[in-house]
Amino acid sequence: MILTRLSLSNVRNYAALEFAPAPGLNVLAGANAQGKSNLLEAIALLGTGKSFRTARESEVVTSGMPTAAIAGDAQVGAGMIRLSCTIALGATGTRKRYAVNGRNVRYATYLGKLRVVTFVPAHLQLVAGPPSLRRSLINTALAQESAGYYAALAAYGKHLVQKSALLRGVVESDDALLATYNERLIETGTRLILARRAFVAALDERARAVHQGWVGDADGTLELLYASNVPVEVPTEDAVAAAFTARLRTQRDSESQRGVCLVGPHRDDLEFRLGGRALAAFGSQGQQRTAVLALKVAEYGTLEARGGEAPILLLDDVLSELDRDRQRAFLHGVASVEQAFITTTGDVDVPSAATYRIVAAQLEAAG
Amino acid sequence: MPTVGPKTAARLVFYLLNRPRAEAEALAEAILAVKDRVRLCSRCFSLTEEDPCALCTDVRRDATLMCVVAEAKDIFALERTSAYHGRYHVLGGLISPMDGIGPAQLRVKELIERIASERPSEVIVATNPNAEGEATALYLSRLIAPSGVSVTRLAYGLPIGGDLDYADEITLAKALEGRRTLQ
Repeated sequence: MILTRLSLSNVRNYAALEFAPAPGLNVLAGANAQGKSNLLEAIALLGTGKSFRTARESEVVTSGMPTAAIAGDAQVGAGMIRLSCTIALGATGTRKRYAVNGRNVRYATYLGKLRVVTFVPAHLQLVAGPPSLRRSLINTALAQESAGYYAALAAYGKHLVQKSALLRGVVESDDALLATYNERLIETGTRLILARRAFVAALDERARAVHQGWVGDADGTLELLYASNVPVEVPTEDAVAAAFTARLRTQRDSESQRGVCLVGPHRDDLEFRLGGRALAAFGSQGQQRTAVLALKVAEYGTLEARGGEAPILLLDDVLSELDRDRQRAFLHGVASVEQAFITTTGDVDVPSAATYRIVAAQLEAAG
Repeated sequence: MPTVGPKTAARLVFYLLNRPRAEAEALAEAILAVKDRVRLCSRCFSLTEEDPCALCTDVRRDATLMCVVAEAKDIFALERTSAYHGRYHVLGGLISPMDGIGPAQLRVKELIERIASERPSEVIVATNPNAEGEATALYLSRLIAPSGVSVTRLAYGLPIGGDLDYADEITLAKALEGRRTLQ
């Protein structure tokens, strides 16, 4: 996938911008607070409809303006596609609209048309940070890849919220209603579990090879394990549904007593191991960072292999966080990318890259 | 008022200013009549002036079918199809514990009592195809199942005159799941 045109209107510090990115590596260079990350955020918004920096999307709209608009053309497998995502501030909150080729569509239809893999400094906490960070990485990738996954995830989330309200006693407790929510959670959750399991297995295989290519076997093999809250031996729909049902039954009393949903893929995790030991507990900072880099290269490769075309890679100020060797290793890992955007305050040493200087939301090709 | 923004409101005011007084009075009376005369049918909880409502008392309607809807306005949508001639039951909303709406806040008990006394052969749950509508339908089918009455749900699918190309993947997948043999 190649973004060939990006057009911004009232997006953060960009009043108006027309940008024709190059294929391959695009380096966005400039001092702090000039709009490098804002540009990257806009591309991510165009692809996923979500910001990787904030959950409050009103922040994306230039202050004092009613609407932010991001539009772009992209070369995808099926041909040229025209996307647009607008965020409007209203009295009752922000409202987002999505369009594909000029036609308004629902988010579920929009998502996945232009796939992106983002790598931001916060991801360096992936190994030791909270599980939600790791689940969100998996969800973001899979939701872009499959509309069915997104639908299951959205439905699962809604039923989960309802079930916890029921457990907390917001309404009178009702066994049939609890059973209804559990039934829906099992149905949608099973789909999530199976998709995550297959995805993590693919990530594991790639990350292991990438990692070995970088550091050899000195520290042992890197492993990514899907730590499911509903573990099964054989990954079939029936087996997962049965295990899910059984766990819900055994945890039933605890769930009611504590008023919390204890069973299901919302409690899944992704575990990093190096040489058989938990990386979060035993790994050095350096080892953890290398593992995250390997994971990100693996995520990109997996989405590319399974989706049949390369997603767009967005790297927000990550390189500056890495030492020279790791920078080089990572850039080598993504050397063959169809298109990538990298923000940096310094220089990126890739001869084939198109470099742009950003000063006060103005873009200038620097060769 | 829903769907009436400041611009529409201003337009309505200027329109009314230009109309004769009698017309304004008629409108005011009609609005009052809505408040005074329209109430809930004690049987199906639809809106009516007579209790029980015309839909419940019409002997030409099929008493073996009962269609469960969330709101009274859904009845109007279904009646416009002229394809359904059974009875209705209005729940008064959809189950949503996070909003404080459980079965006790809706007319679920009344539905179960009606099914026991009226003995329809089929209950059609016509709730919206969203998470709350789905959960409400499944919950009702759980409650009704022991009575032996068959419970059905509206089909999911493609809009008539639509284009496969433009259908969203989830609707299309549901339509595939619910495919039927051509006779």
